[in-house]
Amino acid sequence: MGRQVAIISAGFSEHASKRSDVNMAELVNEAVNDCLKKVPSLSIKDIDAYVNGNMPAFEGANLPELWMTDWLGARNKPLIRVTTGGTTGGSVGIAGYYSVAAGLPGIDTVLAVAFEQQSQGDTSIGLSSVALGEISVLNTLGLPYEYLTRLMSAGGAIGLASYQAANYMNKSKIREEDLARVVVQNRRNAAKTWWSHLKMPNLTIEEVLDTPYISYPLRYGMVCPASDGACAVLFTTEEKAKDLCDTPVYVNGVASVAHESVIIGYDASGSAQLDPSEQLGAMKSSEIAYNQAGISFPRKEIDYAEVYSPFPNQELMWVEKLGLFEENTAPEMYENEVTSLNGELPICCSGGVNATNAIGASALERPAVAALQIMGKASNQVPKTVHTAIGHGWGGMLNLCTMMVLSDQQQRKWR
Amino acid sequence: MSKRTLRKSLDYVKKDYVETRKMPGNWYLSSYQYKFNITHHQSFLKKLKDKKLVGNKCSACNRVFFPPRFVCGKCLVKPDQWVDLRDTGQVSTYTIVYLKDPETGEVLEKPVVMVQQDNCDTNYMAELQSYIDFKDTYIGMPIKVHWAESTNGNLKDIEYYDLIEDDSKDLDVSKD
Repeated sequence: MGRQVAIISAGFSEHASKRSDVNMAELVNEAVNDCLKKVPSLSIKDIDAYVNGNMPAFEGANLPELWMTDWLGARNKPLIRVTTGGTTGGSVGIAGYYSVAAGLPGIDTVLAVAFEQQSQGDTSIGLSSVALGEISVLNTLGLPYEYLTRLMSAGGAIGLASYQAANYMNKSKIREEDLARVVVQNRRNAAKTWWSHLKMPNLTIEEVLDTPYISYPLRYGMVCPASDGACAVLFTTEEKAKDLCDTPVYVNGVASVAHESVIIGYDASGSAQLDPSEQLGAMKSSEIAYNQAGISFPRKEIDYAEVYSPFPNQELMWVEKLGLFEENTAPEMYENEVTSLNGELPICCSGGVNATNAIGASALERPAVAALQIMGKASNQVPKTVHTAIGHGWGGMLNLCTMMVLSDQQQRKWR
Repeated sequence: MSKRTLRKSLDYVKKDYVETRKMPGNWYLSSYQYKFNITHHQSFLKKLKDKKLVGNKCSACNRVFFPPRFVCGKCLVKPDQWVDLRDTGQVSTYTIVYLKDPETGEVLEKPVVMVQQDNCDTNYMAELQSYIDFKDTYIGMPIKVHWAESTNGNLKDIEYYDLIEDDSKDLDVSKD
C-alpha cells in the first residue's frame, strides 16, 4: 500500500502574453525558485527526483527537459517527462504523487514542474496537428480541406467548446449574461493575483457582451488568453512534510479518466457521445478521486474548488459534473454570489484558466492554488478556513479529465 | 462591416518586458503519413454511390455507427452487422462560424451542425442548406439528406442537409 503524500509548497512564474525577457529555461527557473523560497529549510540538494512536462508542439522546441536540466537543478537526479495535451499539468502532478507514494528507497521529495511558452511557437499549428490524422482520413474519403476547416470552426479547442456551450445553454436555459457573469468574476479575481495574465479590475458584464462573436455563443471577451508561464509543486512524504512546513496539504485522491471524443470519432467514424456537455469522463474521475479521499457529500465537504475552464460555459458545466452543485443550478449560484471570494463555496479565486492559460502549466496550477488556499498563503486568499479543496484538469478532444483532492487531514479510508 | 464582427478588445493591466535576442527556426509539423484501415469503409462507400445510407452495428451493445467504425470502444469488438438507415435525422448540436469571404472581404455567418441520423447512435458533422438562416437553427431541428447530382462513392455525395417542412393539417388549425 502506498505512502501518504503531502504538498509543502507551490511556486509560479509571472504570466504574460509575451515573456520576451526570458527564454523557456529561465521561465521555469523563476517558478522553481518561487517554490523553494517558500520552504526555507529545504535546499535544492534535498530534492530526490523530478517530473516535468509541457506540449512541445505548441512551442516548436522538442525535448526541452534535456537542455534545461541545470535550470531545474536536476543534474544527476532521476527525471521523467509526461505529456498529455491540455491535462499535461494534471498528469505531471499525478506522476509526482505516484513517485512519492510508491515508496522507492531514496525518493522522498519530488518536484513537479509544468510550463509553456506559447509566444515562441504557433499554438494553432500545434493544436491542428492533434487532429491531423482524422482530417487526412476525411480528406481521403472525399471532403476537401476548405470544407473541413469550415466545419471544424477553424480548428482547435474553441470549435469543440462552442458546440458544448450551445448544448449547455439549451439544456440549462441560460442567457449570455450568465456566461459573461462568470468571466467578470474570474477576471476581477485575477486582478488580485500577482502572477495572473488578464487583470481586469473594473470589468462589467456589458463590456463583455459588447465584444464580437468568435463562434456562437462564445464572444471575444469570453475566451481564455494564450500565456507564457510555469508552475512548480513540491511533493514529499507525511513525516518530512511535518518538519518542513506548518500546514502540510495532504493529497488524498487522484484520478485521470478519458472518455470518447466528441465532434469526430477516430478514423472518420461518428462520435457516439451525442451531447458534448454530458462529460461522463469528468463524472467518473470525480467519483474515483472522492472514493479514494472518503468524500461522500462533495457539496458539504469541499470548501474550495479550482476547475479548468478556458471558456465560461465549461466552468458552469464542470462544477455541476464534479458534484459541487445540482444539475443546471450553477448559473443561479454565480448570480447569488455563492461562488465569490466571500461566498459559501469559492471557485477559481486565482482567476482560473479563463484569465491565465499557459496550456501545459494550467492543469498543475489548479491543485497548486488549491494547496496554497489550504495553507493560507494564496495571493487572493479566501477569508474562511479551507479544509478540503479540489484541483481539476481537462484536455483534448478525448475529454481526458484529471482530479486531485487535497486536504489538511490525512486520508482516512484505506490507509 | 456589422457591429457583430467589429473587433474590439478589452483593456487589461499590462506589464512591459525587456526584449532580448530572438532566433528564428522552423519545425514542419504538418507533414506525416497517417495509416488507417479502410476495409470497413468499402461497403459503406459503395452504398453511398446508390444514394443509400448504411451504418454498422455492434452485436454486443447494439449501438449503430454512422459512418462505420472499425472497433466499438465500449465492448472492444468489431461491429459486424450492417443496418440500413433512413435519410432523415436531427440536429444534435450546432454553432455559428464567422468566416471572411476571400474575394469580397465580407464576413459570412454560417451555421455548422452535428447531425444524428435516425436509428443511429452517433454524431456526424455536416452543413445546412445555404438559405437556412443562422437565427433559425436550433437543437432538435428535423433535417433530411440532400444528395449531390452525381454520386461518386465518397463522403461529398451528401452535399448538405435540407430542412423538413412540417405540413401536417393540425399545425394549420392551431395557427388560426
